[in-house]
Amino acid sequence: MWSFYFHELMRSMPFFLKGVWMTIAVAGLSLVFGTIIGFIAGILRAGRNKPARFIVGAWVDLIRGTPFLVQVFIIFFILPGIGIELEAFPAAVIALTNLTASFICEIVAGGIIAVPTGQREAATSAGLSYYQQLRFIVLPQAMRTIMPPLVGQYVLLVKDSSVVSAIGVVDITRVGWLTVQRVPEGLMVFGLVGLLYFAICYPLINLSGFLERRMTVASTRL
Amino acid sequence: MLETFNFRVILEYMPLYGQCFLATLWLSALSLLGAIIVGIIACAMRLSKSRALSTIAGMYIESIRSTPLLVQLYFFYFGLPSMGVMLPEWVTGVIALTLNSGAYYAEIIRSGIQAIDFGQIEAGIASGLSYFQRMRYIILPQALGATIRPMLGQAIILVKDSSLLSLISIVELTRAGQLLTSERFMPAEGFLTTAVFYLVLYYMLKAFSGWAEKRLIFREAH
Amino acid sequence: MISFKNVNKWYGDLHVLNKIDLEVAQGEVVVVCGPSGSGKSTLIRCINRLEPIQEGELIVDGMMVHDKKTNMTKVRAEIGFVFQSFNLYPHMTALENTTIAPIKVRNVSKAEAEKLGREMLTRVGLEDRIEHYPTQLSGGQQQRVAIARGLSMKPKIMLFDEPTSALDPEMIHEVLDVMRDLAKEGMTMMAVTHEMGFAREVASRVVFMDEGKIIEMAPPNDFFTNPQTDRGKYFLKSILTH
Repeated sequence: MWSFYFHELMRSMPFFLKGVWMTIAVAGLSLVFGTIIGFIAGILRAGRNKPARFIVGAWVDLIRGTPFLVQVFIIFFILPGIGIELEAFPAAVIALTNLTASFICEIVAGGIIAVPTGQREAATSAGLSYYQQLRFIVLPQAMRTIMPPLVGQYVLLVKDSSVVSAIGVVDITRVGWLTVQRVPEGLMVFGLVGLLYFAICYPLINLSGFLERRMTVASTRL
Repeated sequence: MLETFNFRVILEYMPLYGQCFLATLWLSALSLLGAIIVGIIACAMRLSKSRALSTIAGMYIESIRSTPLLVQLYFFYFGLPSMGVMLPEWVTGVIALTLNSGAYYAEIIRSGIQAIDFGQIEAGIASGLSYFQRMRYIILPQALGATIRPMLGQAIILVKDSSLLSLISIVELTRAGQLLTSERFMPAEGFLTTAVFYLVLYYMLKAFSGWAEKRLIFREAH
Repeated sequence: MISFKNVNKWYGDLHVLNKIDLEVAQGEVVVVCGPSGSGKSTLIRCINRLEPIQEGELIVDGMMVHDKKTNMTKVRAEIGFVFQSFNLYPHMTALENTTIAPIKVRNVSKAEAEKLGREMLTRVGLEDRIEHYPTQLSGGQQQRVAIARGLSMKPKIMLFDEPTSALDPEMIHEVLDVMRDLAKEGMTMMAVTHEMGFAREVASRVVFMDEGKIIEMAPPNDFFTNPQTDRGKYFLKSILTH
């Protein structure tokens, strides 16, 4: 019996690979957009404009205070109510981008604040404008603090992407869920699902450590 | 959309929301307790001199960290029955949450312990205390101070993670939103109310975190 | 060049600059000293508005620094500021540290800025360290790069906030040598420092501050040999007998 199920599982491999592709697509798109929006939000969050800081802070709090699954449902079910028709895939990318951006916002803001004030004072004394300072002096130094948690956030992104299977996106998790209906060997099916995620996440976790070492060497030490 | 926001339906469903809020609270609390216990055990195993124990704990922690919670949940939900183990859904849910957060707690406790000055441990060894005695009287009490904030952070994550239990038909806060959607076709009312309840929990936990930190810092000043 | 007229500044309740009246003419070298908390660093930091003043007039090179509407970029381009903790940009080489401001603020071409940067670094004695990063340099070398960085904007005024206080003793003289040469070439300078030898050699005036007020102001020899006030006497005694 077990070998029969195993055989069935192996026959579903193409289906699983499609799921991997979908996971990568959803996570990849969200990674790109989320990083861009997250950086902009982070710069605002650490900036001079008080209202902007407050608004961004409130947005981050809302996202951190509610479960991602609920956010996915809200975006998928409610946006059509105000006229935006959405299919599962775009809704998933929007929700995941939103989530990722809010976390990256905090990471970036933290990195900017960590740059010593003396650096800003030197740049101000030289006559550099706020944005010149940010671009040439503050952000390059902030990147050292930002990189490792940023890559850590990407790992979280891949894991959180599994939640979008709840609205029907056919990613690795959904493929597993669909397969287990035909092949009722939960351990095998989700063992495979787990393995596939592990294959993506484990190298990313190590990349985070590698980047941390490389960043430290490149910019300062001999 | 707000003009058509149906507050009356929400009031009608309030009893359900109340029950679900308590369900979420109770499921989270139970899992939290379990997770802390699992975390302490796993951490002790990870830091022990025995290669076997350390490796087993390491494998457990790495597999949890590199795979999504939803996959772990489905793994137990579909996998246990296929081994002949039939459990009520909520037990499966609590097991999954416990094991998931347990791994993260193990890491939090580990970094708290490794931050302790080695001299303390040497003093303990010199006075003849056993490994477990040192853990209980010297190491863990000090690790508590450093770890209280990340531990409460993980608790907040656990409460949000509990929303995934709705996907295996457990009646909790997110499920309430799903029910309002499927029974009355009102996803906005359903999920926004759910979101509000989670935010209440979030701010309560954050307030508790602040209070707990203040109380502990006061104790250390002694 | 620099003119303080009845300047007052508070940090909350603390009256950190108290009715400051001070005129610094072009080519003058003024040394400011006093016990810690006297407001001497704050005084200097107000000149390029690193700190704002609340009352009074502060006019630098004809521009009203106390006026919130003044474009500080123009003012700061004429002032070179050297910090106690150097504040060099760690992700840039010594040369890049000197060229970034001329390129971005004065819109000088990269080639010209680099030529000027090399000149300035040579002038402070670091021609063989041009491509080095701050972490590869000693404290004294870093501070000299900081001076070169200030000079590469071709400023009219150089300000120094305790430039040698963070240096190991054996490196102090290399920085003071550079400052001395600058003074002799006629640069308008204001320096917060306790280096009395430097003050004696090149300062036209010593300004002694305590608790936010200017207590004494005199040519260095007069101040060091014959302080007029009790606080001045007490201060000199305490720094000369350590």
